[in-house]
Amino acid sequence: MSKKGFSLVLILTMLVFSVLTGCTGNNAEEVDNSSEGAKIEDVTIKFMYLWPEGSSRQQNMIVNEIIDAYQLANPHVKIVQEVLENEQYKTKLQVISASNELPDVGLTWPAGFMEPYVKGNRFTPLDDILTGGLKDSFVPGTTEAYAINGKTYALPLELNIVPLYYNKAIFAKYNLEAPKTYEDFLKVVDTLVKNNVVPIALGNRDRWTGSLWYMYLADRLGGPEVLTNAINRTGSFEDESLIKAAEEVQKLVNMNGFVRGFNGLSNDEGKAEFLNENAAMYLMGSWELPNFTTNDEIPQEFRDNVGYFKFPTITGGKGDIDSWVGGPGVGLFVAENSPVKEEAKKFVKFFVESWGQQAVSRAGVTPATAVDTSKLQLPQLYIDVLNDLGRASNMTLFADVQMSAAVAQTHLDMIQSLFGNQVTPEDYAKKHEEALKADSK
Amino acid sequence: MNRVMEKKRTGIRVYKPNPKLSKPSIGATAAKGILYFLLVALAVIQIFPLVWLLFFSLKNNQEVFNTPPLALPTNPRWENYVKVWTRGNIGQYFFNSVWITAVAVIITILLASFVTYAITRMKWKYSSLVLGIFMVGMMIPVHSTLIPLFSLFVKTKLIDKPAAIVLSYIAFNLPVTIMILLGFYYTLPREIEEAAIIDGCSVNRMFFKIILPMTTPVMATTAIINMIYNWNEFVFVNTFISSDKYKTLTVGVQNFIGQYGADWGAIGATLVISILPILLAYLVLSDRIVEGITSGSIKG
Amino acid sequence: MDKVMGDKKVIALYVLPALIVIMTLVYSPIVMTGYYGLMKWDGIGNMEFIGLNNYIRLLSDPLFWNSVYHSFLLAIFSVISLMGYLTIALVLSGKIKGASIFRKLYLVPMLLSSVAIAQLWMRIYHPTNGILNSLLSFLGSDNIPLWLADQKIVLYSVFIAIIWQYAGFYILIYYAALKNIPESLIEAARIDGASPWQIAYKIKIPLILNVIKVTVVLAVVGSLKYFDLIYVMTYGGPDGASEVIASYMYKQAFRSYNFGYASAIGFFLLLICLVITWLIRRLTASDEEIQY
Repeated sequence: MSKKGFSLVLILTMLVFSVLTGCTGNNAEEVDNSSEGAKIEDVTIKFMYLWPEGSSRQQNMIVNEIIDAYQLANPHVKIVQEVLENEQYKTKLQVISASNELPDVGLTWPAGFMEPYVKGNRFTPLDDILTGGLKDSFVPGTTEAYAINGKTYALPLELNIVPLYYNKAIFAKYNLEAPKTYEDFLKVVDTLVKNNVVPIALGNRDRWTGSLWYMYLADRLGGPEVLTNAINRTGSFEDESLIKAAEEVQKLVNMNGFVRGFNGLSNDEGKAEFLNENAAMYLMGSWELPNFTTNDEIPQEFRDNVGYFKFPTITGGKGDIDSWVGGPGVGLFVAENSPVKEEAKKFVKFFVESWGQQAVSRAGVTPATAVDTSKLQLPQLYIDVLNDLGRASNMTLFADVQMSAAVAQTHLDMIQSLFGNQVTPEDYAKKHEEALKADSK
Repeated sequence: MNRVMEKKRTGIRVYKPNPKLSKPSIGATAAKGILYFLLVALAVIQIFPLVWLLFFSLKNNQEVFNTPPLALPTNPRWENYVKVWTRGNIGQYFFNSVWITAVAVIITILLASFVTYAITRMKWKYSSLVLGIFMVGMMIPVHSTLIPLFSLFVKTKLIDKPAAIVLSYIAFNLPVTIMILLGFYYTLPREIEEAAIIDGCSVNRMFFKIILPMTTPVMATTAIINMIYNWNEFVFVNTFISSDKYKTLTVGVQNFIGQYGADWGAIGATLVISILPILLAYLVLSDRIVEGITSGSIKG
Repeated sequence: MDKVMGDKKVIALYVLPALIVIMTLVYSPIVMTGYYGLMKWDGIGNMEFIGLNNYIRLLSDPLFWNSVYHSFLLAIFSVISLMGYLTIALVLSGKIKGASIFRKLYLVPMLLSSVAIAQLWMRIYHPTNGILNSLLSFLGSDNIPLWLADQKIVLYSVFIAIIWQYAGFYILIYYAALKNIPESLIEAARIDGASPWQIAYKIKIPLILNVIKVTVVLAVVGSLKYFDLIYVMTYGGPDGASEVIASYMYKQAFRSYNFGYASAIGFFLLLICLVITWLIRRLTASDEEIQY
């Protein structure tokens, strides 16, 4: 009796296990069948990206259309997708790379993010598909952000610049105009503070948001090279203008220029202050343009009130008004150990060629491939941004992307300290210098 | 102690109301009033998150960030729920969540009960060593395990199979489950086992017929804890599962997180949908915590 | 009796399945973490053996010790809050009208995922329209704290959320333990004229002492490796003010690409947990097992 009872449970347990593993067996067979099926040259390309259907519907649709089109034109190719959210995507990419199990095609960020992948021989160079005209379709300089030791390891899909958005209605109410110089800008901030209006929306819990302010001030004070040189070690972070930029940040903080409690607010919360017309200005990437133009969830009156201006120049500073903070965002890579490398490269080429126009006109993504704005029906704000992008005298890649990952963490933490008045500008620069030195060893 | 046990074994339970306590004094009444006030206040605080979540799920981003958290949505956005149901495979995720959670919880509790029984009741040299081994198991941070487990699952061909997450849930919940069971198993009266063995009962029979029913309350407790953990887990799912058809509800939440911002109303709607099944299961299991004792002692 | 209860085959049958699962799925990562801890590795490509260098770096890393300090604070707070949880469980397990309804309501927040809990507390702590600050300004306070932005208080703000998050978990365990005490014992004491307080301290608490010991270990270990809400609510910031061991480890592993170093942190964390658990068990060791 007792043995029966026990063996029953044991059998049940076994059964559950065998169901679980049984699943496994069956699935493995299925996969084998499809790949070893009728045609020998059939290939499956695994593609991992970060535009879920829920939050990034347009991007997701475009990706699916491109895939459908490619599969139609190449019936022997099957593209299997995996979609993850941004944060999870980054973590998973690393975990699977450690086991050398990267998908055949995936998305990466430039510079510091992709460097270890390239060093670890995980990505394959894509220079061969760039020849033959593809390179010329990109905005000049964008593919370089993905180049290490002269080889290009990914092809950019996005290209963003960072305008200073402002609420025209609030400005009009206090007789303010979009400032051209930093001195005028400070007067605008001062007027708004005096009238109990929050001048600037900022969610600095996410840290890179505050970094944008610092980067612009560094650029306007010391010119486009100074930050980049400090990072690539041809210069020093203890450069006078880099310290001065930190002082200016704190001056702005002490004027109550930013929304209250910004260091504890996420970017979403910070942004909400601007969208809800509590704050007059917001420094953010051009990826926000849909929210100010086409997003129906946001009231039309507000969207009509949003304008932008270029970050003002500082008298005596070396920066030029057409120098932008920005640069390419995600780009497509092909895994080095992909069994279908050549097919994957063809798909990447096709993807890049099809992406640009669709992305800008439907998903509001400013693409890294040159777009002829005259052929598209775009909101005026887009046309202005795209034209300014074309006129840019310089583009400084986001500091936390330029830096190696370890230094980026120091930078981001220091940004919070600087904005929180917890560190002096001198120490701020010194900590950066130390981290950069330690990293270059 | 033994005297009490005697009573328990024969199934006689003493229950005499104390006459002294039946007429409470004014002070006692006041104290009771304060106690109830505190209890109700605490209940309101504890129930508020559910109300908040419901309101949250009926707002859009604008309203989520700009209206007070407990403000009624002026214009309830039921379309958030429509969005959740139509974008992404929430039905499939739902089904996966249910069966993966159920299977993992049942196996975990069964295996943990076996081990706890062996450790607390049986006589063997290595029992404390084995207990130590299980306890160490709960000290490793989850994120340290991702790379090694991924490569293990790749080697065993379990990657992208539900088995990978079910097994992970079992392994990582066993230590806590055993720990909680332990405290209860120590208090089980040995006399029952002695009597059973004298009656010629085997260990297995005793375990399934006597011990397991007696521990229903604590099993219900661990079931609730395991269930909540498995239901809300997403790191393992994201890392070990690639195919959409095996993903679970927590992935549904991430479906609404974008590259530069999230759709919070839809996230709220997903959270409301995903809380309903465990709320139900919790209410059912919660009653077992109390019921078990009576049935346990009758059988004892 | 001993013969039956010492049957090796039965013991093996009972212990081995779980042991095999845990050995393959938990111990292999532990061993690998120890191994990676000796490597210079970005967690992506190739690794290089560097001996104990990661541990040497660990000893002199102020950011790491800062996070250790915060984690220990959390452990202390968690253990102290156990008393609160126990009190609530004691009240609920007593002869209270509607106890079962209260109990069910009290545990509801436990069902929420950390995503929801983080959002909730971010709404509570929001500097301008958060619940807490709305309440404070309504009460006329003009010194309204920045709960998540002020480096001096952010840690405690997050702790409160964490302690609230875990209330259900511990109340549930205590409640089940208290309900496991035979009613006859309590009734007997009541007949002898014991007050509810005396019953709680002289009978109930001693009888569930084993369970309390277990919860102390769970609270300490759980706190030392705590991650979820801190990462979602503050990223460990501003500037490390709410950094804990697990969030620091995560950032080192997956954001700074110092996987080898992060593994050393993970292994070190395991050792800390081991030592502390051993200490707790030594300090609370008792000779007899309590039975009813």
